[in-house]
Amino acid sequence: MSISLPTYTRREMPLLGRRHRLRAIIVTGLRREFKRPAAIVVTALGVGLTLVSSIVIVLFAGVFLPGQALDLSFFFVPASNGAILFFVTLMASVVGSALIADDLNSMALTLYLSRPITHADYLIAKAATLAPLISMIAVLPLVLTPFVAALLGLFSWTIALEAMGLAVLLGFLFTAFYTSVTLLLSSLTRRKSYAAAGIFAITFGLSIPAGILSGSLGNSALLYISPWDDYLAVARAAFGASGSQLEWLWALAILLAATIVASFVTYLRMKAVEVVSG
Amino acid sequence: MLGHSIAEGVPVRERIGYMPEHDCLIPDMTGVGLVTYMGRVSGLDANTAISRAHDVLQFVGVEEERYRKIAEYSTGMKQKIKLAQAMVHDPQLYIFDEPTTGLDPRGRTEMLDLVRVIASSPGRNVVLSSHLLPDVETICKYIVILDGGHQIAAGELSQLLTGSADRLRIDVRGDREAFARRLKEAGLESEATASGVHVARKPGVEAAIFETAKALGAEVRYMGREIRSLEEFFVELVQRNEAVDA
Repeated sequence: MSISLPTYTRREMPLLGRRHRLRAIIVTGLRREFKRPAAIVVTALGVGLTLVSSIVIVLFAGVFLPGQALDLSFFFVPASNGAILFFVTLMASVVGSALIADDLNSMALTLYLSRPITHADYLIAKAATLAPLISMIAVLPLVLTPFVAALLGLFSWTIALEAMGLAVLLGFLFTAFYTSVTLLLSSLTRRKSYAAAGIFAITFGLSIPAGILSGSLGNSALLYISPWDDYLAVARAAFGASGSQLEWLWALAILLAATIVASFVTYLRMKAVEVVSG
Repeated sequence: MLGHSIAEGVPVRERIGYMPEHDCLIPDMTGVGLVTYMGRVSGLDANTAISRAHDVLQFVGVEEERYRKIAEYSTGMKQKIKLAQAMVHDPQLYIFDEPTTGLDPRGRTEMLDLVRVIASSPGRNVVLSSHLLPDVETICKYIVILDGGHQIAAGELSQLLTGSADRLRIDVRGDREAFARRLKEAGLESEATASGVHVARKPGVEAAIFETAKALGAEVRYMGREIRSLEEFFVELVQRNEAVDA
């Protein structure tokens, strides 16, 4: 062991600002995730299967969807692809559930908060780690599908570009919802498995009973409790597709409110966490 | 603190290196990876962070193991990584919380050596929080003693441990209480405590002490100016406080 101080002089370089510190957490977080086989598999399968199934629907629209008009409303079909819901849930469970829970469990939160960053910085960095991964499933296939369709000459570029713009907005809405809810669940426990179970419970534990009950009771308002149905209602309105049982404005308000409330509660929860013990 | 209000969290923390007591490292990162990462989160650019990470890891003695995952490290190595991450951004003030926790005697000596080197470096200050009073006595110049969350003593260590020049401390093998009582009967101001019998100096006090020892069959093992260990001082303070409370 050498007993001599490092030779660098104090403050030879000024410390970089908040943006740089957040970027360091985000980039390191993404690198760590892309070293984990589970995250790689979910990302690859999620993006691949969602994209392929959406493009297949476009290519064989005449077979799968006879009578479906080939206008903007057509792109509601890939936007309502169930693979999006499944793989976003899986991604949130595999990656997002651990983001805060692991730091609480290993008490690494102490290390983060002893650094010159705030609780809000920490949460923003964690959200910015998860959001790109979710958006790879929630946004990318929805943007690429109209792009491919336009390239193949199946749709005009005007419709395709409009569909791509709407896909970005819808994908971001879905990404924001799942990111904030996932981080909330992750902040509530030291065990990522509990958070992961919570994500599945919120997704399927709300959507499936809501669908069954609204059908059996004949009350479509029950579908508002299902995030997926809220998203579909907004997507239908955005693409001009008919057949929605829900008012899209209410559905949008519910998704946005849930996103904001979850983010706020997560912030309060993190502020309340005692990081120094012993 | 360091020219800033304590309420300004971020600027204050830019100048602080904190080594927590508990295990707080990210197990799936390597030693050098974690220290570099913490440097970057503190605001160092990537190149500086990695360069300083290697410097501080060499300093703390984690050289060959730096590329291994932290999950595989021993307790001593984890303590050193915690020290290295506190040093990486070269802060002005270090806060070490029980740095020798869980270390064997050799590891404890190594850690105290490192802390002592940091504390003696110009421009660097160390706050050491510990229940191991011999560690504090080895490292610190100034101490603050807390009991039940209240400050019960503060000041320069050497002055606190060196009692009044007007008093003698006697280490007696035998009944201290009886010894002190006998001295009182002889007209001397004396008190028996956990650290020995304390007697006010006055002409003839030494003769009176040895006469008392002879009379009681006690053995005087030490007699001199009051110099206490920190542990003795602490016990005295706590006992005095308890007596006041009672």
